[in-house]
Amino acid sequence: MLAIKLWNYFKGYVIIRVEGLTLEKFINLAVNKDIYLWDIKRIEYTVLEGKVSIKGFKLLKEVVKKVGCRVYIIEKNGFPFLLEKLKKRKMFGFGFLLFIGLIIFLTSFIWNIEVVGNEKILDQEIIDFLEEIDITTGKMKYSIDIDNVKNQILDNFNNISFASMEIKGTKLFIEVKEQDLPPEEIDLTTPCNIIASKKGIIEKVVAKNGKSVVTEGDIVEKGQLLITGVIKDEMFEKDMVIHADGEVFAITRYSHIIEEPIEKEVKEETGNVLKRREIKFGEKGIQFIEGNIPFKEYIIIDETKSLLKVLPIKIVTHEYREVELNKIKQNIDSLKIRSQVLAVEVINKMLPENSKILSKDVKHTIEGNNLITVVVLEVYEDIGEKQIIYNEED
Amino acid sequence: MKNRIDELKSNISETFELPKDIVMDLPKISVIGNIQVIISNHKGIIEYSKETLRINTNIGVIKITGSDMYLKTILTEEIIIAGTIEKIEFLY
Repeated sequence: MLAIKLWNYFKGYVIIRVEGLTLEKFINLAVNKDIYLWDIKRIEYTVLEGKVSIKGFKLLKEVVKKVGCRVYIIEKNGFPFLLEKLKKRKMFGFGFLLFIGLIIFLTSFIWNIEVVGNEKILDQEIIDFLEEIDITTGKMKYSIDIDNVKNQILDNFNNISFASMEIKGTKLFIEVKEQDLPPEEIDLTTPCNIIASKKGIIEKVVAKNGKSVVTEGDIVEKGQLLITGVIKDEMFEKDMVIHADGEVFAITRYSHIIEEPIEKEVKEETGNVLKRREIKFGEKGIQFIEGNIPFKEYIIIDETKSLLKVLPIKIVTHEYREVELNKIKQNIDSLKIRSQVLAVEVINKMLPENSKILSKDVKHTIEGNNLITVVVLEVYEDIGEKQIIYNEED
Repeated sequence: MKNRIDELKSNISETFELPKDIVMDLPKISVIGNIQVIISNHKGIIEYSKETLRINTNIGVIKITGSDMYLKTILTEEIIIAGTIEKIEFLY
């Protein structure tokens, strides 16, 4: 039924009013002439309303002559009449076409680049790289060779293992997967030394290969040679270079200082807020100011919205929130414990795996208004680090 | 004579299982609830108003009474009448 209605609309039809005495005859004759009539309603004995196609209406003229009734058009419906109207209103039609054209034109650019899936690499890094290969906002999306760009991203970033690009409307969607780069393994045949990765007191040296140059109790600095891969012997004309291997355990110290005021100023919002808007054209701005800020103490929260990334117009909303300053004196004992826990937590993050904590030393001192907490941890760990020996002759 | 031909047609359609409305040139009337009547194979309208409709067919006049009736479609083969139908009568 809907299909027929659509078809009728597309072909165009008129609603007619027929006035006469023998309307049944009118209908029968029209039917015999293959004129399609529908929705015929008898309004009165001498009046009838119905719908007929444009073609049918032209054929009706003969029928009308025979029957001797009068036909009026009440309403014209359908696409052909709409077109007729549009012909009279040329500018309207032109505007409509312009509108559609403009939308198609504007949606053929990339207005937004979104990067998803990156953890270590910053969004900006990828966007900067894209800018280098001439893919920026405002670029025609048909001119982007997706496969090519994808490969370039993969080539440029070593730790991206997968990249996919998709253009969704006006948004360029980049999805990447990072891979964890394994720590650089030094080949067993490559000659190397073992050096200290940090400062410490040597506790135990296990040299599996090479010759240890430090003994127990030695204090070593960062970068100092621990196990050498260069073997000097009077028997050889040249020094022998080997791949040193082994573990060097040492006691190292980690410390962290936390300074915390005992009397704290806490800013509390009173709930009074004043908002101001500013329109920025590049660096210059227009502020809409209504009087001075009625608060003594306040914090400002700025929110920047850009209308279009390409245009340098920005709307900045300044939000002034009134605050009250309250001084709070904290309990020293609980503050001590809190600082200590915080410091240990920070140090724990620095500790390498397979390390043992030997001792913990905590010192609290009060300096003026501040409580200073110093936490020192002594740790037993492997500080050996391989360093390749580069042969000077190579 | 005419009766004998009709009888023959009826017999043929029964033996060959052909639809009688086509073989014997009879009107076919389908009624949907009390809101629509479809009459195929008609011979024109005799009377048409909101309350009564008389349609000519081969076997006589079909009179349909009801209220708010109107002709939804009218073609050489088929008439669709919509509205509230109360009665369908055959007048010979």
